[in-house]
Amino acid sequence: MKLIFERSIKGRDGYSLRADLFDEVSIKDCIPDYAAIDAKKNLSEVSEVDVVRHFTKLSKFNYGVDDGLYPLGSCTMKYNPKVNEKLASLDNFIYAHPLAPDETVQGCLEIMYELNKLFCEITGVDQYTMAPAAGAHGELTGNLIMRKYFGDRGEKRYKMLVPDSAHGTNPASAAMSSFKMVEVKSNEKGTVDIQQLDEVMDGDTAGLMLTNPNTVGLYDERIQDIEKIVHGKGGLLYYDGANLNASLGIIRPGDAGFDIVHLNLHKTFSTPHGGGGPGAGVIGVKEFLIPYLPTPIVTFDGKKYHLSDAGEKSIGMVRAFWANFAVLVKTYAWILSMGPDGLCSVCEASVINANYVLAKLKKYYRPAYDRYCGHECVITGRDYKKYGVTTLDIAKRLMDYGIHPSTIYFPHFEPCAQETMMIEPPESESKEVLDEFIDTMIKISNEAKTNPELLKSAPHTTPIRRTDDVTAARRPILNYDDELNVKDELK
Amino acid sequence: MRYIPNTEEQKEEMLKDIGVTSFEDLIEGVPTGVRFKGKLNIPEAISEPELEEKVYETAKKNSDFFLMKPLIGAGAYRHYVPQAEKFLLQREEFWTSYTPYQPELSQGTLQSMFEFQTYLARLTKMDVVIPSLYDGASATAEAALMSLRLTHRNGIIISAALHPHYRETVATYLAPHSPKVIELPYQDGLVDIAKMKESINDDMACVIVQNPNFFGGIENMTELCGLAHSKGTLVINAIAESMSLGLLKAPGGMGVDIVAGEAQSFGMDLNFGGPYDGYLATKKQFLRQLPGRIVGETKDIDGKRVFVMTMRAREQDIRREKATSNICSNHGLNVTAANIYLSLMGREGLYQVSLVNTKAAHYLEKLLLKSGKFEKVFDYPFYNEFLLKSKNSVSIVNEKLLENNFIPPLEISKFYKEERFRGVLLFAATEVLSREDLNKVAKILSE
Repeated sequence: MKLIFERSIKGRDGYSLRADLFDEVSIKDCIPDYAAIDAKKNLSEVSEVDVVRHFTKLSKFNYGVDDGLYPLGSCTMKYNPKVNEKLASLDNFIYAHPLAPDETVQGCLEIMYELNKLFCEITGVDQYTMAPAAGAHGELTGNLIMRKYFGDRGEKRYKMLVPDSAHGTNPASAAMSSFKMVEVKSNEKGTVDIQQLDEVMDGDTAGLMLTNPNTVGLYDERIQDIEKIVHGKGGLLYYDGANLNASLGIIRPGDAGFDIVHLNLHKTFSTPHGGGGPGAGVIGVKEFLIPYLPTPIVTFDGKKYHLSDAGEKSIGMVRAFWANFAVLVKTYAWILSMGPDGLCSVCEASVINANYVLAKLKKYYRPAYDRYCGHECVITGRDYKKYGVTTLDIAKRLMDYGIHPSTIYFPHFEPCAQETMMIEPPESESKEVLDEFIDTMIKISNEAKTNPELLKSAPHTTPIRRTDDVTAARRPILNYDDELNVKDELK
Repeated sequence: MRYIPNTEEQKEEMLKDIGVTSFEDLIEGVPTGVRFKGKLNIPEAISEPELEEKVYETAKKNSDFFLMKPLIGAGAYRHYVPQAEKFLLQREEFWTSYTPYQPELSQGTLQSMFEFQTYLARLTKMDVVIPSLYDGASATAEAALMSLRLTHRNGIIISAALHPHYRETVATYLAPHSPKVIELPYQDGLVDIAKMKESINDDMACVIVQNPNFFGGIENMTELCGLAHSKGTLVINAIAESMSLGLLKAPGGMGVDIVAGEAQSFGMDLNFGGPYDGYLATKKQFLRQLPGRIVGETKDIDGKRVFVMTMRAREQDIRREKATSNICSNHGLNVTAANIYLSLMGREGLYQVSLVNTKAAHYLEKLLLKSGKFEKVFDYPFYNEFLLKSKNSVSIVNEKLLENNFIPPLEISKFYKEERFRGVLLFAATEVLSREDLNKVAKILSE
């Protein structure tokens, strides 16, 4: 498909401005010579019609949750309610300037204040910051809080424990906070190896980053022992909220002993992923850590809401302004729509969905762990290797049937590192949708045995076929001008 | 529940197929000690009509912001967002898709990122662009970390005319790495070159300068870069008002090493502070130290031109603790927004809108000075924001403006404690303010 630059026609335009351009003001009086340009910047020249058709066409090359099942493990690709989009785009919200006087933004502040209360109740902690823009940003904020907290206590804890099953963001966040990352092994059941945890947890260790259910979708039966070990040796427990969907209403991380909790609003709380964001990664803490939260905190004096400074112990700001506010509005609307029973139903339905897929597919794809799962299940394609078929081939073949593949090659650590597929069918998926997915997966398992070539050459029906990633990395073409240069070189 | 389709009967059927009798059997891994048994103390579910009413009521507690034109910028600018962009952005294929890990099903997102990378490369005259970090402040912090890795030095010079939130964010991100931080003072609203000469040395990894700076001032980046480079120090150019790129000389043409920008002005609403979109643009030789996702062009097996995420060996899901950053989810949809915006504005439109911003600001400054109620703080070249000291009390100025549906300018003393900044206001003007609006502002404030 053409790039927008290839649709450009000299002299064409698609913008609309007032006629009065303050012509009497001379540009020479505004811009000093050292900053003045001699030619307009080289953007495309297209009409509004061209733009609308171009992007409509582009959108058709994408697959979204509204197109069908999107069973990416650990991504919680649930349905994004439409009313929430409308509410987040009310004029009074979208035109609210972040530095407008407090008295003009009482509605925004009320939502942030109320949302804090809801999050605290749902997760069993005492105060949230709405600042972090994504899960990893929340992790960084949490790690910086731990660092500052121990620093203030004069404790030199320089290590951070991260399970081998953790998402890459956990070790990366610990490293960004200058912690030395120490890996905790999983046992054959897929959960934390308690004995090893006891060995590595020591007085130099700030804490443990963990999810529950963990990153392979399994509830850790020994979560209480984990808590005792980490707290017993003076460490803190950090809860990665990637998998909160399977805890809503049945486990409150704060009750389970977690000191810092992050929530992925774009996962559990139904806000859309937008092709990679924006989401929000708010974090909540127990009371003793409140002084360390980033500025600001929304307070209420009985009459008015205020954006208040977090105080001198605060780690400082982690971004400009206050929050991904538009994402907060959608989250607020979703929680109000669900209510306490609805949140429990989310957990129940997602756990049943995942176990249903596991039960139906385990005959065809050997499961990584032979036990019930949380909201996602891990199966493998390892038995198809003898036909020359990999999990990647299976994933690509699914596309031919109009279904987005699951997360693949995660988990990638022992004992089940091989050919994994992590499937998360959130509560918004119905039995019929899952049955179609299951039938398709079974069909593909037969194809793998009888016609492996069909899988290896898949996908066949998508807008494009498999891509040459090696050349992309070896000879990077990172914008259209690079492409033009490469063409010139080849001439 | 309308968002949870399975019926009770289907649930029973599924439990039976799993081989259990109840949901409780499936969560046997949850020890009773941590099982939450009560009912969450949050409001009972409400219907969609009730929800709409409730949130509308809450929104009404804000001022009527559609009608309230801002005289404030300070890192968040109200520019006109074309309806065609808003309409296109609502397409579910953009909204409800995930990070483009499967290129066969994500060419829309990938091509859009590639196009935006091209736009920014051209606007900044840099080789490579990371299209999405969270915002301008965190992008600046990432750029600072990048400079430490690139130079193996541990000192950082930060302009005092860098947005205060950006400065704080940089400090937060850098705290664990305990760099030596030197604040670079300003002289008449711009970086004090003489002071920069004194503080720059072989230990300095970078100097971070915002341009246009927090006061709206247009810095002489060529001169700054020459000075920094003489000591092997990198120059990070933070840009909070990217609209300026339509009119001002590109950072790459002035010697800047890393541009850390905020793309909010390219088609993003104010949204009370977010989500916006941070970006980085730099030279090819620094590519491998960049944080975050980048899209490259390649071919599929049929030889068709296609787009994929590339140079992935820098990222957290592959390199874990050795990654250049922990960033994963970013602000992808905002990239599409900015791409559509820049496409609509195009070569002529971006130039014109950028031009009218600076002209409107200069027009307003002149009117306010003429009123006799304001005086200059600095004699400096500025883009679309400028400082003026009010002779009347700031609270009266604010009150009058609010009464007349203008969001007041920023009181600079909120961030700068010097005595001379008492009563000083940071005004912004963009294309959303008409000549009549500006005349009205001047009239109200001269009474």
